[in-house]
Order: sequence, then C-alpha cells, then structure tokens
Amino acid sequence: MIFRAVEDADLIVRARRGDVEAFNLLVSRWEKRVFNYLLRLTGSPDDSLDLSQDVFLKAYQNIRKLDDPARFGPWLFRIAHNEACSDFRKRRPEPHEDAAALADREAAPGIALDLSLAVSTALDRLTAEQREAVVLKVYQGFKFEEMAEILGAPVSTVKSRLYTALDLLKEELAPANKRGTK
Amino acid sequence: MMDSGCDREQLRDFAFDELAAPARAEMERHLAGCAACAAELAELQLTTAALRVLPDREIPQRIAFVSDKVFQPSPVVRFFSSFWNSGAQLAFASSCLIAVAIVFSAYRRPAEIQSQPHSVVNAALTRDELSREMYARINKAVSDAVARVHEEDARVTKAALESADRKAEQQRRELMVAWGEQMNTLQKRLGVLTEYAMAGPERNPVSGQ
Repeated sequence: MIFRAVEDADLIVRARRGDVEAFNLLVSRWEKRVFNYLLRLTGSPDDSLDLSQDVFLKAYQNIRKLDDPARFGPWLFRIAHNEACSDFRKRRPEPHEDAAALADREAAPGIALDLSLAVSTALDRLTAEQREAVVLKVYQGFKFEEMAEILGAPVSTVKSRLYTALDLLKEELAPANKRGTK
Repeated sequence: MMDSGCDREQLRDFAFDELAAPARAEMERHLAGCAACAAELAELQLTTAALRVLPDREIPQRIAFVSDKVFQPSPVVRFFSSFWNSGAQLAFASSCLIAVAIVFSAYRRPAEIQSQPHSVVNAALTRDELSREMYARINKAVSDAVARVHEEDARVTKAALESADRKAEQQRRELMVAWGEQMNTLQKRLGVLTEYAMAGPERNPVSGQ
C-alpha cells in the first residue's frame, strides 16, 4: 500500500511536469473506482462514464493545485463529488432501470438474486447524502477524515449520515440477509 | 439490547477500523464481556457484508488523454504556473525580494547626518573652485581668440602690402621700359636732325619746303 502510494506520488510529479503518459497511468489506476462511485450515485453507466471523463480532465487541468500528492485519492473523489452534484443540479436523476433489472445486472455470481435485489432497493431508498456516505465508506473504503474532505462536511456529520444509513439498511436487509445466507 | 453504558458510536467506529490502538484494545476487552455489543457488531458486519455483494463494474470504455504539443503549455508557462500555484514558492520568492530590497537600500542609504555640514562645505569649496576654473578657461579662450584675430589681421595686411609692392614694382618697370623707348626714339630723331644739319641747306627738309 505504501509502495503504491509512493508510485502514485511519482506519477503525480511527472504529470505536473506535463507528462501525459504518467497521468494516463494514474487514470488507469483510479478510473474503475471513480466510475463505480459515480455509478452508485447516478445509477446510469453512460452518465457515469461521461462524468468520469470530466473528472479526470479536471484533475489533469488542476493537478498542480494538489498540495499533497499523498492526498490524491480524496482530492480526486472531491472532484468527482462536485461533478456529480453539478450534474444532479442540472437534471434530476431519473429512475433508469427497475430494481429487478438492476439486480440482474449487478448480481455477483453465486449470490442469491433476492439479496442483490434487496441491497439495490435498500440503497435506492436512502437519501443521496446517506447513499454517498455508504458508497465512500463501504465500497471505496475511505477514512472518515477523507470522507469529510471529499464531501466538504465535518467528520461528525459524515458519521451521522453513515450510521443513520446503516440503521436503515440493517432493517431493510435483515430478512434478505437471512434468506441470502441460508 | 445494548446496555446504556455501552458506547454505540465507538462500537461502530471499531467496526470500520477507525479507532486508535488504545481505544481499539479497550473495545476488544469490552466486547469479550458484553454480549449485546457483540451482537450489535455482528449485525453491523452482516449488513456491510450484504452491501458488498454488489460488485464493482468494469468501466465500459477506458479513459486516456492524448499528448498534443499544441495544447501543452510551454515549459516556461508550466514553470510559472506551478510557481504561482505554490504558496511555499511564492512565500520564498517574496522573502527573497524583501531581502534584496533591504540589501539594496542599505547600499543606497544616504550619508550620516553628522557628515552633512562637511559635505556642504565641500560642496561650497567645490563650487568656488569650479568658478575659478570656469573663469580661467573663459579668459584663455578669449585670449586665444584675440591672438588668432591679430594673427589673421597681420597675415592679411602683409599679403596686401606685398601685393601693393608687386604692383608698384611692375608699374615702375613698365614706366622704365616706356621711358627707355621714348629716349631711343628721341635719340634717333636727334641723330637724323644732326645728319641733316651737317649735310647742308639743300638737304634740309625744313628749308626745302
């Protein structure tokens, strides 16, 4: 993990000098995470791909403003968060697919279909802020301080959003958990 | 049901590995003796495990940027851009400028106040010396000009005198030549008259008329 962080920092230094290939390598390491983060916020693969491209373009344009290369991840996700918020303001997200189709698309092999469906449905019932907190913590594995940096909110607010969301998800998923783990 | 003395938030922080080592060790000890907290933790872990059944999707299209020299900022622009975007570098540059200004002002500072009268006296002396020097130069220039005028007058006068002498000499010679010719003519006439006088009255042209 430390070795990877040093490598990213080196790529960032090279990208700051105008080395596009170094930045492309950086993109290849982070694009899947950024895309999935945006996908779980927007629910639309096409929108998420467009937003991901915008995120990395802005990152390239502003990479000289990144003070600490070790904070590249939260900095990049802060850009992604801002892009998603900007996109939400421009157009309210539409229900792209029904829950069954979403579960069918995302279900992992070997996992009970109803659990995947229940998870997708439960996530959709959260508010956008709660869902984003869950995505950043559970799916992206950020620390609370990093989440606060990404969301531009205090750590206490971030924790409150996450734990409220988890309480709701626990109630929603309790029956599905029992069925899915049978 | 959790005991009222249990810290639910700390339990959740523990579940997400957000506790420092001492607090984490304390929570582990608490969990060993608190069935309610252990059950709460198990439920939380089950919920997060359920959430993780949704796998990450592959990005449908790779993102890459093309290096185009036309759109790349020049090295100079990149340098200044990075320079001005860096607070530390800007602060360093400001410090350098202030230091240079201090050194420059130290070298350019005017003389001490005590030395000012001396400087005034020196300035007065210098002014008198300059006046004397100026007058001396003016006098010398005037003397030189007068001398040059006298020399020129003398040269012109001498030339005029020489020219007049030459003309007078030439006129004297011309007069001498003319006078000599008249003398010759008179001598010839005198010789003819003498011959006639000696030859007789018949050959006298005057009496023969």
